[in-house]
Amino acid sequence: MAPSPSPRKSSTSGGAPAPTARRALVLGGNRIPFARSGGAYAHASNQDMLTAALDGLVARYGLQGERIGEVAAGAVLKHSRDFNLTREVVLGSALSATTPAYDLQQACATGLESVVSLANKIRLGQLDSAIAGGVDTTSDAPIAVSDRLRRALLDLSRAKTVGQRLAAASRIRPKDLAPATPRTSEPRTGLSMGEHQALTTAEWGITREAQDEVALRSHQRLAAAYDAGFFDDLVTPYRGLARDANLRPDTSLEKLAQLKPTFGLGLDVPATMTAGNSTPLTDGASTVLLGSDEWAAEHRLTPLAVVVDAEAGAVDFVYGEDGLLMAPVYAVPRLLARHGLTLADFDYVEIHEAFASTVLTTLAAWESDTFGKERLGLDGAFGTVDVDRLNVHGSSLAAGHPFAATGGRIVATISKELHLRQQRDGGTPRALVSVCAAGGLGLTAILEAA
Amino acid sequence: MTDERPVVLLPQVPPLGGSYVRGVAAGGRLAVERRLGRAGASLPALAYEVAGVRPDAEHLTAYQHHVGESGSDRLPAGFVHVLAFPLATALMVRADFPLPLVGMVHLANRVEQHAPTTLVEALDLHAHAENLAPHRSGTAVDLVTEARVDDRLVWRGVSTYLAKGVRLAGRPADDEPRPSFVPPVPTGRWHLDAGTGRRYAQVSGDRNPIHLSALGAKAFGFPRTIAHGMDTAARTLAAVGPARGDAFVWTVQFAAPVLLPSSPSVRVARDGDGFGVDVWHARSGKLHLTGRVDPLR
Repeated sequence: MAPSPSPRKSSTSGGAPAPTARRALVLGGNRIPFARSGGAYAHASNQDMLTAALDGLVARYGLQGERIGEVAAGAVLKHSRDFNLTREVVLGSALSATTPAYDLQQACATGLESVVSLANKIRLGQLDSAIAGGVDTTSDAPIAVSDRLRRALLDLSRAKTVGQRLAAASRIRPKDLAPATPRTSEPRTGLSMGEHQALTTAEWGITREAQDEVALRSHQRLAAAYDAGFFDDLVTPYRGLARDANLRPDTSLEKLAQLKPTFGLGLDVPATMTAGNSTPLTDGASTVLLGSDEWAAEHRLTPLAVVVDAEAGAVDFVYGEDGLLMAPVYAVPRLLARHGLTLADFDYVEIHEAFASTVLTTLAAWESDTFGKERLGLDGAFGTVDVDRLNVHGSSLAAGHPFAATGGRIVATISKELHLRQQRDGGTPRALVSVCAAGGLGLTAILEAA
Repeated sequence: MTDERPVVLLPQVPPLGGSYVRGVAAGGRLAVERRLGRAGASLPALAYEVAGVRPDAEHLTAYQHHVGESGSDRLPAGFVHVLAFPLATALMVRADFPLPLVGMVHLANRVEQHAPTTLVEALDLHAHAENLAPHRSGTAVDLVTEARVDDRLVWRGVSTYLAKGVRLAGRPADDEPRPSFVPPVPTGRWHLDAGTGRRYAQVSGDRNPIHLSALGAKAFGFPRTIAHGMDTAARTLAAVGPARGDAFVWTVQFAAPVLLPSSPSVRVARDGDGFGVDVWHARSGKLHLTGRVDPLR
């Protein structure tokens, strides 16, 4: 193990060249099986699930009572009482109570962003160890009171005189008492994510058959990975679930073809997106253990992968310039250019399957000469990814997609795969991870075998 | 089984629903028999057992949320008590049980958690009564409950109850005075609203009227509903949290009931290898309960 010099040391040596950041390693991961909304975790809270995933990680890597540098995690749908969710989870876990924590949130990129942020702190020498995580429940989603009722109640609490109290209370109307459930639509367009993706799907002419094939492959590969024991050291059973509840190992193109389209029904092309080739609402949590080379050696942990770099992106979807979920299409070429890499240099490409068509429209944009020239500013098409390298152990269509937990699932899965591949074939296998998110956001990262 | 008593194997955990009705009836019968000098002065010499009890995930989650435990698949020690308690109650409502169930006061509770037990393990539960003993205010008895997984003892609980004013076993030899309590610096405060008793009754199945309604509480001499002893005890264990480890002894002595609603002061602090816990009335300084959680040796 040859640690590179820490920034602190080299900064004392005067005019030395900019210090090389040390490596941030993925040392392991643990998640609970993902459940369908209203299923096995119907009454489990975000705190319950994230604690279960974290305690599973702690048990797996012998971290009981350990002070970890920092734990960062988040949830997309969060109760206001969970303002300090991650710290509360740490306090309820087997980690030392002196482990600091913070919450973060970047829609569906939350999990990957927690990995990236903490990895950067490790690279800077601020942290020696860290745990990234994410959790979401659509079963135990927060329900708020209406804005009118909320304002009236707040005015009521501030009222000093009987007159003021009466005035505030008299503003409350029966219809104000109806609860406000969290909206799944984009605030600026009023369209749901599926409706947005249906526009992109139509624009790129993605067929129903191609989408169903992506879904089928996801189920088959995830089922095969479970059968091969790949997830034995990545998943801790919880509340009676040992595998992702959404997984349908016996699904087929025939079965998928029978499902009625659910998105894009009002467009002038046939609707192609169904419940089978879209991710379902899901509950679950995931965690990723990160550390420096020194910390890994001290704790006798085998480094799986290096978090090399990351690039966030965003698209202007509000005026229809780009599809809502197309930000990674732009972020990845920038990320790869920074490292002098092309898509052909990657052994694995993980594209989060928000919808089967998200994967297909991303690939179509990268394969398009016109898009490469006009939108990406390249000489031609960006490149191609064949299915042998793509989502090799299945992805969100099969596993489900508890929003903030997906990034941790992908990073832990592909890090283990990179490590196994290196053990088998040598070299330094490399993986690209791409996650699209609400608000036209995207986050992408490069990992390579450690 | 370590116990010599004959075992009655029940097909399932008896429902608690009718226990208090039967308990009231049995209490009336006992009062008559005592007046006639015919009441028994010994405990039923048998144990009740149920094999293969599978905890329910929803039930576990509801319990964990109520007492403030993490939503782990591990069963909190107080949850095992909830699972085993109906067996003890079934013993206490037997015609040959010498003390009345209703109106009994929970004096103390001791639980040994020998190994963690989880949602996916089937529990073999056991209950018997022992130690019928004189107390300065009546007669005390220990209800012993045990949980085994694959013939391995994982959990053992001893709940000591007092039947006030019932003199079966004579007077205590020495009436030692209670140690006086000086409130320490609190580390926290609980906020127990008026519905706390009803909600614990839901998650525990223990529908003692003193926890359910003011009327029920008044019938037994309490001005308002009172928090369930095992609810407050479970909150002390939850307050210690994961630092309790895998194997521990959790003891609680109940001093005075918590009248609801209440915001008692709490101190949970390291003491030696374990933790000491005190819960007292924030204004009067009167002790509600005191306890310890120590590593099991």
